Amino acid sequence: MDILVSSLFAGLLIGMVLALVALGLTIIFGVMDIVNFAHGEFLMIGMYTGLLTAQATGVDPLFTLPVAGAVGFALGIICYYGFIKFVMRGPMVAQLLGTFGLMLFLRNLALLIFGSEDRSLHHGVLVGKSFELGMGIIIPATKLAAAGLSVAAFVAVWLLMNRTKVGKALTATALNPQGARYMGIPTERMNALAWGIGGGSATIAGALIVNFWSVNPFVGLLFTMIAFAIVALGGFGSVPGAFFAGLVVGLITEIPGFWDFMSYTFEFEWMMDVPMTSFKYMWVYVAYFVIMVFRPRGLFGWKQ
Amino acid sequence: MKSWMKVGMFALAVLAVGLWMVPSGAWAQKEIKIGVIYPLTGGAAAAGRELRAGAELAAKIANSAMPDLAMPMAQNQGIKSLGGAKIKLIIKDHQGNPTLGADLAKKLILDDKVDGILGCYFSSVTKTVSAVCEQYKVPMINGSSTSPGLTERGFKWFWRTTPHDRWFTKDLFEFLVGLTEGKVQGVKAVPREEINTLASACEKTEWGSHVSGLIEEFAKEYGFKLRKSLLYAAKSVDLSSEVRSLKAARPDVMLFASYTSDAILLVKTLKAQKAHPKIMWGQDAGFEKPEFRETLGDSINGILTRTVFLPKVVDIKKLAGQVNDLYKEKTGNDLGGASARAFTGLQTWVAVLEKAGSTEPQAIQAAANSIEIPGKDLVVPWKGIRFSTKGKELGQNVLGSGLIGQYQKGKDGKMELEIVYPFDVSSADMIFPFPEF
Repeated sequence: MDILVSSLFAGLLIGMVLALVALGLTIIFGVMDIVNFAHGEFLMIGMYTGLLTAQATGVDPLFTLPVAGAVGFALGIICYYGFIKFVMRGPMVAQLLGTFGLMLFLRNLALLIFGSEDRSLHHGVLVGKSFELGMGIIIPATKLAAAGLSVAAFVAVWLLMNRTKVGKALTATALNPQGARYMGIPTERMNALAWGIGGGSATIAGALIVNFWSVNPFVGLLFTMIAFAIVALGGFGSVPGAFFAGLVVGLITEIPGFWDFMSYTFEFEWMMDVPMTSFKYMWVYVAYFVIMVFRPRGLFGWKQ
Repeated sequence: MKSWMKVGMFALAVLAVGLWMVPSGAWAQKEIKIGVIYPLTGGAAAAGRELRAGAELAAKIANSAMPDLAMPMAQNQGIKSLGGAKIKLIIKDHQGNPTLGADLAKKLILDDKVDGILGCYFSSVTKTVSAVCEQYKVPMINGSSTSPGLTERGFKWFWRTTPHDRWFTKDLFEFLVGLTEGKVQGVKAVPREEINTLASACEKTEWGSHVSGLIEEFAKEYGFKLRKSLLYAAKSVDLSSEVRSLKAARPDVMLFASYTSDAILLVKTLKAQKAHPKIMWGQDAGFEKPEFRETLGDSINGILTRTVFLPKVVDIKKLAGQVNDLYKEKTGNDLGGASARAFTGLQTWVAVLEKAGSTEPQAIQAAANSIEIPGKDLVVPWKGIRFSTKGKELGQNVLGSGLIGQYQKGKDGKMELEIVYPFDVSSADMIFPFPEF
């Protein structure tokens, strides 16, 4: 039983963090119809920002979030005005290849600056600590904190999008850029803001994740792929969809845990021998594939 | 004027003839180039630095006279039988990538014209590099790759000094059986059912997946129950579901084959998940790197690792102590399994060249096949070095042996590796069961 409950908790907690990872991607897509391949690289930069800020200043890694958020916001804006703005004038293919190039650039820049070694946090108030809920159910403190803060960040963005004037302007730009321009909305600035929010939420997610994962310059691709799956599942451009799909994907990555629960509860010898953990991300992509075939718009998608 | 020119011409001619008459070999022999391929960047960069330092130290000792050291290569400058030729290492970084390793080997052979190769730590890279060497008939000595298959391919230009994983894994099971028979210092005989269930997690390249297979094989042979054996990518940035899966199997004994960053990540995750097996054992590599100890601190108290060299060897072997001092002066760290074996690898190269008295590949091949280095000349606690020349295994050193060490916190608060196997050279009482994190 403890295996099942532990896996459920682990899946939901990581799901909340993954939802935040996908949030930035879905906002940028929703507002500008552009798929950002460099999304995972933003997150990787967030991981390095969190790690290095904590190491350089000695503050707890959890307090580095504002720094990471600011770096991500600035990076998003710079990328927009310095690069994306020009790429947008070209055809769809140019936009795809453009962000793909941005991904390669950021990754290799990180490789140049930080080297290819894995780095991880070893000190912090919560690092290595965990709560025991009884019955052998253990929840790592860093994951719980990361999940909580992810939800908080998620709610903040949702409020921004739905309860403020700026959010309305963003939505208007997403629905009909030309119409929005006629109404006096500075769509150019809204696009930049979308990139800023997208970048900031990715780097904040990165600074949370670095509390329990290690980082190297190549880590971004995994997150880009997972974020794609989440966004596809939740629906391109849908914020609540991203949250819901994040939880689903979090649980999907825990399929090996559920498998173990079955095999050791019922002592199925053949099940014990299946190397499920090696396939933990495979199920995410299977879900991605299935949703693409049967409901390309995603569960909550509204953009056709 | 004319006679002055004549004298000049004559002198020039004499000089030219003189130069031509000096055997060309004598000029070339001033330097013997050994290509050294190690992982200097990437997840195993820490190990790479150690390996490099070990090989460089051996080259330094071979190139200079240090009569205090009781080893043949320290007695004179360079290779005596080659007119005092010096060893020059050309060091390359394979980044843990077998394809890159093979390319580097080709470059070393064709462009740098090396006389031989040393490397590559990663069994997967050693596999491809040795294949290139075999193709070009360039001798390669391997000091630290332990996948058994490497010497089972019938290669004629490949020699391995380190014992391989089959021996090490057998050592582990001998140790477990010894534990149930009360042979371990400081531990009463443990009932078999207390340590009967095993679970293993190994990285999934050439080395780890072989270890995983061997654990399975020996578990069957020795009658232990293997409840879970999983493979993971050494480059993983998260191993929490792997650790949960290991825990789910509720094993008494957890076994690992991991490189550096993944070993640290594994133990960190095991700690966060409060795993409490009775025994934790690592198949060397990441588990005995200085980084492992520095990063994880006290939480590794009680973890076992197999190795071929422990700082405690210094107490039994004077030569090891002397070389350890030189190594510490150079790097600030004690010799470890990786550095001691890299040192031994290059030392074997020097001995082979000394015996061959030539850099002709055939001469080197003949020398390697007949070499016999006594244990007293080595820093590692082996009986010596002699390569098998017939049978299923070709080029494997048959005189090597392994150790199992346990991390124990000393009175001074420092984490030391104590020898717990072989039982007759134990240096401390074993901590059993593994204390909770």
